[in-house]
Amino acid sequence: MSALTARGICQAFGRRQVLAGLDLEVAAGELVAVVGENGTGKTTLLRILAGDLRPDAGTVTMAGRPGYCPQTVVLDEALTVDQHVRYFQAAYGIGSAARAGELIERLGYASYRGQPAGTLSGGTRQKLSLTLALMHDPPVLLLDEPYQGFDWETYLAFWDLTGELRAAGTATVVISHLVFEQERFDRVCHLTDGQITEEAGRHAPAA
Amino acid sequence: MRQQLETALRLSLAAQVRNRLAWILLVVFVPVWYLLIGSMISHTGAEFRLRATGTGIVVDGHNLTLITAGLSAITLITGFVVFAAVRRSLPFDRRLVLSGYRHAALIAAKTNAALVQAVGIGAYAALVLLAFWRPAGAWAVAAAFMLGAATYAAFGLLIGVLVRGDLEGFFLIIMISMLDTFLENPVDNPLANRPLLEFFPSYGPTQFAAAGAFHHQALVSMVGVSLAWTAAFALLGLVVLRLRLPARRWA
Repeated sequence: MSALTARGICQAFGRRQVLAGLDLEVAAGELVAVVGENGTGKTTLLRILAGDLRPDAGTVTMAGRPGYCPQTVVLDEALTVDQHVRYFQAAYGIGSAARAGELIERLGYASYRGQPAGTLSGGTRQKLSLTLALMHDPPVLLLDEPYQGFDWETYLAFWDLTGELRAAGTATVVISHLVFEQERFDRVCHLTDGQITEEAGRHAPAA
Repeated sequence: MRQQLETALRLSLAAQVRNRLAWILLVVFVPVWYLLIGSMISHTGAEFRLRATGTGIVVDGHNLTLITAGLSAITLITGFVVFAAVRRSLPFDRRLVLSGYRHAALIAAKTNAALVQAVGIGAYAALVLLAFWRPAGAWAVAAAFMLGAATYAAFGLLIGVLVRGDLEGFFLIIMISMLDTFLENPVDNPLANRPLLEFFPSYGPTQFAAAGAFHHQALVSMVGVSLAWTAAFALLGLVVLRLRLPARRWA
């Protein structure tokens, strides 16, 4: 069953056509990487999938409200970790923040819960951004280079989490430029000339 | 909707409280500004035209300048505080909307938070003024300061959603606020009683404060003039803010 379907996505910036009729379909429980050179439109594609950018043409349908972790960490510098969680609890309309608390513990930054985001390190800010994307157990997860600034332990914790989400049926799209990670994905989509021109075969799930 | 509105209002105010520069400006700049202006301007009489009544009254130039100096300080600070908050939180607001936050809840919370700040800053500046001068109509001065602060809170919001860079925004707020409040004072500007100045944002608050402080009169029409400026700036700012937020796809 398809959890995310994008059809005929076109996007130009001025004369430069970045996405040219791109199609993408991701099934529930599938972990898909979108890779490509710098400037090929990976981030643009993810912004369109998340609804942050309206495409010139094309449609996006999704199984439900996605979790979105943008490339640039978008937080309110003046608010603490817990205040961010309260904001997104209201946004998602969820009664409990237990899942957010669990993610904060697992990603190892519980001691920073009372600190404003502006005083956190780059890696901790990225962890908070990821927590905000995951805390409502989304059916579709859209992650743009989500592990930038992570230390090795957190990086491994991230892949453990991703494995659990896959097992629970979450469709996950990860923008990545790291070639050595590709065996972790079910599919690797190469973005070239505004289209997904090559899809590698199905890989074994990450250990 | 109600939960989102309450959360956004509470957290918008919580974020504002952490604006250290705003606190420094309030605690240091406002009293120092009164002190400097007060020590430089003599108590010579100055003719001030109360346009709403059509009468010219001779007022104490020192005390009138304290009013316009107070207005100048609070318009600068309120404009800066709201501008900085809007600029800082715009990308975050976009992310909140993408996650399901209602536009109406976010926009209403921001408007109310700006209003709370304007009232707080206006009341504080009026309170500090009492250390330098105790006008008969202190309530009118306090009300005028709140009105002036509200106008520049709305202006800060508008500039915050319009300009591309922080520097341009700060420069615009400083220039317009200084020009606006400076020109209303006949001690600083010999042409202050010209009809053209009726079309400036601080005209209403200046007239209301002066009428209350020197003439024991409440010029209610000036409240309307000031609120019209506030409403115009706020409406424009909120429309642009709404346009800059993405569409909400998830209920």
